[in-house]
Amino acid sequence: MRGRFKAFLSRLKALVGRKKLDHDLQDEVAFHLDMREEKNRAAGIADEEARYAARRQFGNLTVAKEGTREMLRFLWIETLLQDLRYGFRMLRKNPGITLIAVITLGLGIGASTTVFSLVDAILLKPLPYPEPGRIVVPSLVSPPGINLGSPYFPWGQVQFRMFTREQTVFQYFGAFQSDSFNLTGVGDPIRLDGSRASADFFPALGISAALGRTYSAEEDRPGYEHEVVLSDTLWRQRFGADPGILGRALQLNGTSYTVIGVMPPNFAFPRAEEMPVFLNFPREAQLWVPAAIPDAPPGGPSEMAVIARVKPGVSLNQVQAQMDLIARHAEQKLPDWKGWMNTRQVPLATQVTGDTRGPLLLVLGAVGVVLLIACSNVANLLLARALARKREFTLRAALGSGRSRLIRQLLTESLLLALAGGAVGVSLAEAGICFAKTFGPANLPRLHEVRMDVSVLCFVSAASLLAGIFFGLFPALAATRENLVESLKEGGQRSAGNSSSPRIQNSLLVSQVALALVLVISAGLLAKTFFHLINADSGFNPQRALTFELSLPPLQYTDQPHIVTLYRNVLDKLNKVPGVQSAGIGETVPLSGQGESTIIRLPDRPAASRKELPYANYTIVSPGYLSAVGTSVIRGRDFLESDILSSLPVTIINLSMAKKFWPNQDPLGKQVGVGSTQYALTTIVGIVADAKHVSLREDPIPEMYVPYTQHVWPSMLTMHVALRTNGDPANVTASVRDAIRSIDPALPLAKLATLSTLVDDSMVTPRFSVLLLASFAALALVLACIGMYGVISYSVSQRTQEIGIRMALGAHRRDVFAMILAHGARLAGLGVAIGLLAAVAATRVMAGLLYGVRPIDAPTFIVVAVFLMVVALVACYVPARRATRVDPMVALRDE
Amino acid sequence: MTEKRERPGDLLQGTLDLLILKALANGAMHGYGVAEWIHDSSQDVLRVEEGALYPALHRLELRGLLSSEWGTSDNNRRAKFYALTKTGRKQLDQETEYWRRMSGAVARILQTA
Repeated sequence: MRGRFKAFLSRLKALVGRKKLDHDLQDEVAFHLDMREEKNRAAGIADEEARYAARRQFGNLTVAKEGTREMLRFLWIETLLQDLRYGFRMLRKNPGITLIAVITLGLGIGASTTVFSLVDAILLKPLPYPEPGRIVVPSLVSPPGINLGSPYFPWGQVQFRMFTREQTVFQYFGAFQSDSFNLTGVGDPIRLDGSRASADFFPALGISAALGRTYSAEEDRPGYEHEVVLSDTLWRQRFGADPGILGRALQLNGTSYTVIGVMPPNFAFPRAEEMPVFLNFPREAQLWVPAAIPDAPPGGPSEMAVIARVKPGVSLNQVQAQMDLIARHAEQKLPDWKGWMNTRQVPLATQVTGDTRGPLLLVLGAVGVVLLIACSNVANLLLARALARKREFTLRAALGSGRSRLIRQLLTESLLLALAGGAVGVSLAEAGICFAKTFGPANLPRLHEVRMDVSVLCFVSAASLLAGIFFGLFPALAATRENLVESLKEGGQRSAGNSSSPRIQNSLLVSQVALALVLVISAGLLAKTFFHLINADSGFNPQRALTFELSLPPLQYTDQPHIVTLYRNVLDKLNKVPGVQSAGIGETVPLSGQGESTIIRLPDRPAASRKELPYANYTIVSPGYLSAVGTSVIRGRDFLESDILSSLPVTIINLSMAKKFWPNQDPLGKQVGVGSTQYALTTIVGIVADAKHVSLREDPIPEMYVPYTQHVWPSMLTMHVALRTNGDPANVTASVRDAIRSIDPALPLAKLATLSTLVDDSMVTPRFSVLLLASFAALALVLACIGMYGVISYSVSQRTQEIGIRMALGAHRRDVFAMILAHGARLAGLGVAIGLLAAVAATRVMAGLLYGVRPIDAPTFIVVAVFLMVVALVACYVPARRATRVDPMVALRDE
Repeated sequence: MTEKRERPGDLLQGTLDLLILKALANGAMHGYGVAEWIHDSSQDVLRVEEGALYPALHRLELRGLLSSEWGTSDNNRRAKFYALTKTGRKQLDQETEYWRRMSGAVARILQTA
């Protein structure tokens, strides 16, 4: 052990003090020679002769020195350094090739690193909560036939209390629901998005306040709920990160709340993109107040979600078993609830990831394909160069370099290239991450967590190394395969291409074309989807329409007459604003979120069983709303000012509802009502187009509109206002604000946006994915073109002699041109054929992302295949032209 | 990396190592001295190839069997002196024993023929 250590030290010394070592060796040998010379002289040999004899006796000086040196060094480090130096020299010598290779690789690695950083943050990294594996979202499963755009539906207080009482498998079991708060008394009134959350909410997530504390179970009871916890962002933006904020009283919705805590940075649960759409959570929660759910809640609808932390050592199966047991128990006690108590335990990670997994993996696959193409491109580039260097290799082999030594040399060069490409890739990825964070769809969960971190850097390094080995190995193997004797006999002549290297080149090229084809077809399908979406009938007119949200503080607006009066005032004032064509209010406006769904009663169609209860979206609107959002009345009439409580209760239904419940009948004049029989039936007076709520992609669901003046539930505290304007909606915003302020100065305008902005926002995801895939496809196409150009150019240069002979024998330039093009066309055709087969398999995976297009869309396939062939032939054009300019005399003399 | 090829000195390597260790058994010596001692002691039969000697010396030093020091030779010149280390002495004993057994065995085989 000690000996080995000493040897290591000597080697280290030798590596560092190479000069000193050489010097010592020199001295030692010189001494030896002198002694020998002296002895020779003493033996009577003449001076000159004595020295030569000494040298002769010593033998090969250099071998002795080399032998000693080799021993004393880390041979592999020396070799590596030598290879590196040599590699650098080679790369510098061919700046063109080096630059193209580095850029190609940089693009490939940069793109894949960007996508990997997304995948890593969204799918791979554990959630930023302690022991995230124990956090689940118990979700109520919708009874069959009820569809809210999700298999689940919101919790009610009754169910929550029942499960809270009986469950023993969760350590914490907290409920929360979205709510908005008008903050007054701190600057202008402002609408804050927050959450009413029970006391278990914070410990279930395992996060405590960074400043102060969160509220206790005692403070989470009706009548005691006067505490508020702020988000870090809100605290910084609105209160200047005031450390003395604790204990301060805030007026929220007209009630006084005491600030007791500030959460750590980045804590904004629940975020909209992390929870089911139908719960309508805001983009970020800015504050939390106690939910104060009574022990014996009075039933009625509620829009809650539940978050729970499983006790240590309890499995999800055990949890599920107990929750099922509780449900059966509850159904026995409350037969009315049969079918409404079933739960499914969704791990928080699954809930957060949602349905982004598919698209993300698709993009990751696409970018992997780009990287593959980039690698095979660089492989071809290096292969051509390696073949040109064959003489050098032959010479080196003749001088005693083994094949493995040559391969190592070539691989070192490729790795150098790969690392340079990786460095370029890192900076490109840095920009890419920035781009994704700015332009990425808002509903991409955990986008705020994406960053260049250790795992991403590991990915870059691994990708670069693998890429370097991948694209370096082909040329290295091909270029060193030649038989030494054969090559020497050839005398460095370039062979006419019988060796295996063109085969490697050709197969690399064919796979490039095939891969590029798959990507371009996928991008084509997504682009088609995008245009179908844009042109899809949205059921409203986004041009020149302005919308915003009004939230009435419940303390001031306690009863319905009060609320209705306010809205009537608002509509009166807004209708008088110059530039406003029509104004209306509604519970939702198109693309602002899922409306409220309810069970309906159809007197002429009695429901067979509770399982098949008909349901529809139930939306309260005012006269003028439909014309303001631009939803056209297909038959019948719009609501009128004369539809009041004392007149006939009326409703307007959408086309889907008409088709679903009155197929082949005229619904006008038919009756429909909400599920509960204590409310009167309404008469259908109009049929309107299907307006989309969440995305242009959604399938329309039955919807009924009722006039706010005839509406009976006091649930109109938050309403959307829609305005159709004569000109640019931006011109009226100031006067609209003034109009609202003149009615109630404490009312903030929230979510002020044009309808076309809402449309744009809803298109962010499809636009992002189509942009992403299209840019990858374009990249792949360009790379494949470069590859095509390179391979054909190389083959032309290899066949110069052959072409010269052909022309000397009477071939026309046209024939030569056609011959080269045919060569390119053969390769491209093979690539396209293989690519079409691959695309059939690959696009099937995308089916869920498409709209209005089938995965195997013949027009797209044909157009892209033809397009790729044309592009490939264009790439062959220049080398083919060059081939026709071969002068037979020069070509033949050259060889 | 070159293919494994037998180097000229390789065959003798074990023997040369043993001879070097033996040469140094009686005290430190420089490379030239070692070569001369082997030459003389073998009654001019063995001539050490210097091209092999120095690599061998350095190898033995690297293995910790020898230590080296720059000193002054008899004729007052700067020379590198090699000496046996403790491990080197042990190695010498083992190698000598091994050599005796081997050469004895080889000799017996040759006699029977």
